[in-house]
Amino acid sequence: MKLRILLADDHEIVRRGLRALLEKHEGWEVCGEASDGREAVEKALQLNPDVVIVDIGMPNLNGLDTTRQLLQHDPHFKVIVLTITDSDQVIREALDAGARGFVLKSDAARDLVSAVEALQNKRMFFTPRVNDLVLAGFLEKGQTVSRNEAPKLPTLTAREREITQLLAEGNSSKEVASLLNLSTKTVETHRSNIMRKLSFHSIRDLVVYAIKNNLIQIELPPPPKTPAGPTAA
Amino acid sequence: MTIRILVVDDHPIVRQGLKTLLEGHSGWQVVGEASDGAEAVEKARDLNPDVMVLDVTMPRMNGLEACRLLRSQAPELEILFVTQHDSPQMMREALEAGARGYVVKSNAARDLLAAVEAVSQHRVFTALNERSFPQLT
Repeated sequence: MKLRILLADDHEIVRRGLRALLEKHEGWEVCGEASDGREAVEKALQLNPDVVIVDIGMPNLNGLDTTRQLLQHDPHFKVIVLTITDSDQVIREALDAGARGFVLKSDAARDLVSAVEALQNKRMFFTPRVNDLVLAGFLEKGQTVSRNEAPKLPTLTAREREITQLLAEGNSSKEVASLLNLSTKTVETHRSNIMRKLSFHSIRDLVVYAIKNNLIQIELPPPPKTPAGPTAA
Repeated sequence: MTIRILVVDDHPIVRQGLKTLLEGHSGWQVVGEASDGAEAVEKARDLNPDVMVLDVTMPRMNGLEACRLLRSQAPELEILFVTQHDSPQMMREALEAGARGYVVKSNAARDLLAAVEAVSQHRVFTALNERSFPQLT
C-alpha cells in the first residue's frame, strides 16, 4: 500500500518542487496539497494522510499552529515541519507543537526523503542542529528541551494566536471574523484581550510581536548596491 | 519557438518546482541551474540562454548584483526576477538593474509562463499582489 503524503505550503512553486521530489520515490504518493494551515487541517481530516508536511510560514494559520491543531484532532498525525530557519526558538516551538520531523527548506532536496522514510519507520527526523539542542537540553536539565528562553507565545490561547496572526497579516476584525466564522464582536473581544495580555496599544506592536514569535515571517531585501565583488545577500 | 532558460535560486526545491513548470511548456528547455548570482553569471556565459529566471536574495552574490553584471556582459539575455519580495520598491530596483520581468514567488505558478513568454519577446512583464504589506495603523 502506498504511503500517502499531504503537502502544505503557500507557494505553489514549492509544492510542485516537493511533489516532484517525493513522487520519484517508489511507493509514495502526494494525496493532497494545501496553500495555508487552515486548508491543511481540513484536508488532513478529509484525506487522513500518513504524513503531513507543513511549511512554518503560511498565511491564515502558520505551520506551528497547524501542527498543534492537527495533533489536537488526532495525535496519530505524523507531521514534518519545513522551515527557513533553525533558530533555537523555532526548534523549541516545533518540538512543543509535536512535530516528528524538522527539515530546513534549503536542505529539503537532500533531507526530506530521509525524513519521510524515518517517519514511515516510526522514527523521528531532525537536523543535526535540533539533535544538538535536544541533547544539550537533556544533559543540562534532564529534560528534552531547555526552557530558559521559552517564548511569550503560550500566554495566548490557540484562538488568540490565530487571531493575532490574521490581524498582523493586515486583516480587519471583520475580515478575521469572516475567515474564522465568528462574529465581529467576538473577534473584537479577543482582540482587546490580546492587546491587554500583551500590554500593546497598536497593531504595529502586534505585527512586531507576530514576527518575533514566528506567527508570520518576512523576508528582508538584500542590502543596497555595494562596490564590485560578491557579497552575502 | 524554442526558449532556452537558466533557472537561478538558492533553494533546490524551488528550482525543481520552477523547472517542472517551465518544462511543461512545449518547446521550452531548462538548459541549466545555478544556486547564486556568481554561478548564474558564469553559467550565462557558458550556456548562453535566452531567458534567466532569477531570485533576488541569494548567498555570495544576490540577484540584483548579478543582473547588473549580466546587463553589460550579455545584453541579449532577458532577465526575469521571481522573488519573495512583493514590493514596488524592489520591483523598481530590479527593472533599474536591467530586468525585463518581475514576478512574485507566491504567484509564480500563475504568472511565470506568461512572464517568460513576454520577456522572451522583449516585452516587459510585472505583477505584484494587490495588498503587498499589512496595513499599519
